Amino acid sequence: MSHAMNNDKLNKHFWVWPIACYLFLGGLGGGILFFAGLFDFIFAPMIGSSIGSVFALGIFIGVAALGIGSFLLVFELGQPFVFLRVFLSKTAIIKWGAVLLSVALIFGFVYFLFYLPPEWNLFYYSWTWIRDICCAVMMVTGICVVLYTGILLSSFKARAFWNTPVLPVLFTASALSTASALLAVTAGLWPAPEFLILGGFAAVPMHDLSEIFVEYLHLIDTVLVAFELVVLLVYVVMMYAAGNNTARKMALQWLRGSFAPLFWGGLVICGLLLPLFFYLSGGVLATIIAPILVLAAGLLLRFMVVFSDVRRPIPGEERFYSRLPKGDETFLFANDSKSH
Amino acid sequence: MTRYAMVMDQRRCIGCQSCTVACRTWNDLPLDIIFNPIVTEGVQGIFPDVHASYTPLICMHCDNPPCTICCPTNASQQDEDGIVWVDSSKCMGCKVCVNACPYGARDVSALDPFLKSFVRKCDFCKDRVREGEQPYCVATCHQNARIFGDLDDPNSDVSKLVNGLGVTTIFPELGTEPQVYYIPDLGGAK
Ligand code: SF4
Ligand code: SF4
Repeated sequence: MSHAMNNDKLNKHFWVWPIACYLFLGGLGGGILFFAGLFDFIFAPMIGSSIGSVFALGIFIGVAALGIGSFLLVFELGQPFVFLRVFLSKTAIIKWGAVLLSVALIFGFVYFLFYLPPEWNLFYYSWTWIRDICCAVMMVTGICVVLYTGILLSSFKARAFWNTPVLPVLFTASALSTASALLAVTAGLWPAPEFLILGGFAAVPMHDLSEIFVEYLHLIDTVLVAFELVVLLVYVVMMYAAGNNTARKMALQWLRGSFAPLFWGGLVICGLLLPLFFYLSGGVLATIIAPILVLAAGLLLRFMVVFSDVRRPIPGEERFYSRLPKGDETFLFANDSKSH
Repeated sequence: MTRYAMVMDQRRCIGCQSCTVACRTWNDLPLDIIFNPIVTEGVQGIFPDVHASYTPLICMHCDNPPCTICCPTNASQQDEDGIVWVDSSKCMGCKVCVNACPYGARDVSALDPFLKSFVRKCDFCKDRVREGEQPYCVATCHQNARIFGDLDDPNSDVSKLVNGLGVTTIFPELGTEPQVYYIPDLGGAK
């Protein structure tokens, strides 16, 4: 008999690490597909060639993030084999999340297949219209997945610290920021070819081309990180100042309670201020360290928010749940027959 | 039309938890699931003017339940007569509904077998009440503190109480329109 019983329905976390990772990976993967699609959409007409290969590795990681995220979501379920029923629902937000995520994943993956090394000469490489459709679809569904990860939590009226329109903004900023960080570190790496043929004639070294995009991405991420910092502070301070008692208690825990070291040290300083400073100072700090910090902070943020699932207690509930047996009391099993 | 509802007479409840135990037995609940706890803030006041008041809880069978629209599998559903219930064979255990309920009326058991864990909640003993019987907790309450019936029937006890007395509900500002009504205790007043 398992003794891992938790009767405290008030402080119990029904969603734990798989959901936190799912929200992080969903935002990261969706953001990557969005940015990769957007760049291709903007620059391909300008230079006369698809620039998807610059981000090939990033796109692959984005697709993998979506895949792992969905695996975690399903793995976390109580009865995973019932999962396909999700597509029957009409109203549930989580259904839209599942649909958007599946579409983004499939189209992102097909798009990626076009950027396998050119020397492999796969038969479909010339079907560029398929690639362009995939590009458009993954861009749109990608940003929708990003928005969905924030909207999901903010839709719970019963959870005071989640139920605010600031949360989707914060999650969107964080997701896009992690996505641009990841695209920046992986730009131009395998399976990108060494040279990209522009408009059918000039061959440009991948290294030079990716440097241009990395610069753009750093600029974008600098803006996003600065924006995220403001939104994060607004979120927590607003919860403290304008939230109800339940939200205020949670905000205090972030500002100077048990979450404070993670909040100030992990999120504000290491996750946002340092990367901001590193991006502005340039060099290896900007190309490697800052993106890693941004990614780590994105994951930390999801964990902290998911574990801030406070519900307003009905008067007397706190007392009741704190007094229930934990499951290891001998009296509960005193009459169990001993098995041989 | 039928609209099942419950009235909790806090003037009568003595916090004995008979209904809580009865529910566990009738529904054969795992050890870590409770549908209808009785909570109290403890003894209030200064001797000799002390009193305790008990709040029997249960799923509010809300008229506007946030727990059903968010269910991605349609396992959480509300019937015509207002009863909100979970079809355990359709529930995939995503716990969206558990997070959506402001009253802590839903839970999953850690004691369920692996890959067979679903959300459990009170269903007003729908199999009993549709046969004309009372929910098991109501039938058990020897103080008549739990009163059950059809709100749409003007002659039922619940509709007389709800329409006649100053009943309250829990967290009405959330817009869930809970259908469990409370007749508040006099709070030690003489
Ligand atoms: S009390 Fe909770 S579980 Fe019951 S109907 Fe309302 S929201 Fe749903
Ligand atoms: S846990 Fe079950 S009943 Fe609740 S929302 Fe998910 S599928 Fe529906």
